[in-house]
Amino acid sequence: MLITLHHINKIYTTGEVAVHALDDLNIEIEQGEFVAIIGQSGSGKTTLLDIVGCLSQPTSGDYWLHGSHINTLPDSELTTIRNRKIGFIFQTFHLLPRKSALENVQLPLMYAGATRAQQQDRAQELLTRVGLQDRMQHHSNQLSGGQQQRVAIARALANQPALLLADEPTGNLDSQSGNEILTIFDKLHGQGQTIVMITHDPLIAQRANRRITLLDGRVLADESTEPQTHPVLQET
Amino acid sequence: MLGAIFRDALKNLSSNMLRSGLTMLGVIIGVASVIAMMAIVEGGQVWLVSSIEKLGTNLLFVWKKRLTIDERRMFAGRNLQLRYDDALAIRNRFPDLKVAPVIDIDGQIKAGERDYSGRITGTSPEYSEIRNSHPASGRFIGTTDIQTWNRSVVLGKTIAEVLFGTQSPIGKEVKIFLGGRKRKKSEGPNGEKKEQETVGEYRFTVIGVMEPKGEAYGQDRDEMIFIPVTTAQRFFKGNDKIGSMIIHVPDRNQMEEVTHKLHQFLIQRHDGVDDIRVRNQGEFLGAIDQTIATFRFVLGGIATVALLVGGIGIMNIMLVTVTERTREIGLRKAIGARRQDILLQFLIESTTISVIGGCFGIILGIFAAHGFGNMVAQSMPGGGDWGAVIKPTAIVVAFVFAVAVGIGFGLFPAIKASKLDPAEALRYQ
Repeated sequence: MLITLHHINKIYTTGEVAVHALDDLNIEIEQGEFVAIIGQSGSGKTTLLDIVGCLSQPTSGDYWLHGSHINTLPDSELTTIRNRKIGFIFQTFHLLPRKSALENVQLPLMYAGATRAQQQDRAQELLTRVGLQDRMQHHSNQLSGGQQQRVAIARALANQPALLLADEPTGNLDSQSGNEILTIFDKLHGQGQTIVMITHDPLIAQRANRRITLLDGRVLADESTEPQTHPVLQET
Repeated sequence: MLGAIFRDALKNLSSNMLRSGLTMLGVIIGVASVIAMMAIVEGGQVWLVSSIEKLGTNLLFVWKKRLTIDERRMFAGRNLQLRYDDALAIRNRFPDLKVAPVIDIDGQIKAGERDYSGRITGTSPEYSEIRNSHPASGRFIGTTDIQTWNRSVVLGKTIAEVLFGTQSPIGKEVKIFLGGRKRKKSEGPNGEKKEQETVGEYRFTVIGVMEPKGEAYGQDRDEMIFIPVTTAQRFFKGNDKIGSMIIHVPDRNQMEEVTHKLHQFLIQRHDGVDDIRVRNQGEFLGAIDQTIATFRFVLGGIATVALLVGGIGIMNIMLVTVTERTREIGLRKAIGARRQDILLQFLIESTTISVIGGCFGIILGIFAAHGFGNMVAQSMPGGGDWGAVIKPTAIVVAFVFAVAVGIGFGLFPAIKASKLDPAEALRYQ
């Protein structure tokens, strides 16, 4: 099991009001799955993403990721886990301005302690994989949205993470660019990459082989389509 | 990684040139003022010490203390004031010492149509030797001049030139009368006649011209006029008081001891009243050191405040930067930046501001010090030797201080950045 969420609660207290964002949530995700988390705003998707992504700790409950008992770990170790085991992809890309595509992809490698030469080699390889071999020196404002998101994917893959965590990855893209991104996801999934994708769009969720629907911090539905599938995708 | 962080810092700073420049300006002004202030104080010290040393060596100075009204009432009838007798008594009691009594008179000296107003010094033959100041032509005041209240006068080089031009003044006649305040009083409506009668003009014969000595302790020694001390008392003062004494002590190591003995001796002569001061050069130098230390403290304090204000500027701009880059911080943390990585990143940025500002500040400070030194030199009478003295230590101190300010004031924003919650920072709008 790659991810085990066991009786997870998350309560935010703002002033006097306590918001129960996650309510006794139990989810298990296996290695190699492509999971879409669906839900309306306020359903707890973002909170779930934060916890799964080790960006914040649950109020109670247990979380295991790739053998690490996350909710018992201090901040400094969460940082290492985010760096080594999780690749983040955001709706707004979150590329650093004033940096080239190459430098953006180098960043997680730098924090992992790689040498400059190693960083560059690996970043070039990754950008080539997402089809940006001739855009490496471009800054983010010189790239289209789809290209920026591909840089972000390359960056997410930098340290060969166990989990690719995508938060509305196509939310800021036109349908063609969005499709390109999802195609890359399919391809990665085909290569055995575990992907958890958060989305509010049921159509996009169809691309995953498992869909977990959240409502009010609980799992409303958990359906899998035939688990063997990544049909068309091998050829892309 | 440090190199990458440093390159990032430079890139970030250069992406907002105006802001970085203005922030640096605070540091530049701070560092420049530290260097300039220190250079000026240093220059002042060099100037004062060299002035004192020009007076001659192994010297003691004796002058009377100003007594309060109560003290004067209390000690009425006792033998107070510094008198010519005191000088003679010291010579008898301490034969090793050379003693020169000094009377200063505000006077005017006239040769034909040319005249000069200034200080006339009544003194004894020892003065020349003690002050290491000798006549270039003619002779200095001699023992006979003292004994006979001779109306002979020795001119400083500049005075001789003013009064006689290129001619040799030796043997020529000059007229000396009291000048300054006393003379003004004589022009008043009532006391006019009486003053004029008692003061009058006296004919003096020039017996010598001093060699050029330049300026010392704010006094141009080429503008001095010497007459015998007894002549000064008899013709201009009408009493046997003297203004001060300069005493030469043969052995430098006995300065303290002699100072003390002399003081006790004079107190005894003055019926037990301590109405005199005895100071040796060492004490003057000590006093100067104290004064300089005070100056250094005050000016240094001002400069430090300037630098601190610069530091606050850094902190201010770093806080803005942290806020502006909250999302970047969130992203960096999400992809694996540890707290110390973020801390270091912002600390390096603030330190870069202060280091670059410090470098420019040093350059500006050196210019400012020289400019200000020149200004002081021009505005002070005889202050021509007061130049700015820039010590390497001052530069190092200012620079280290600037860097410390950069780190110190950058620390709080950097800590703030490093403590940001990644999940919140990522979604900061």
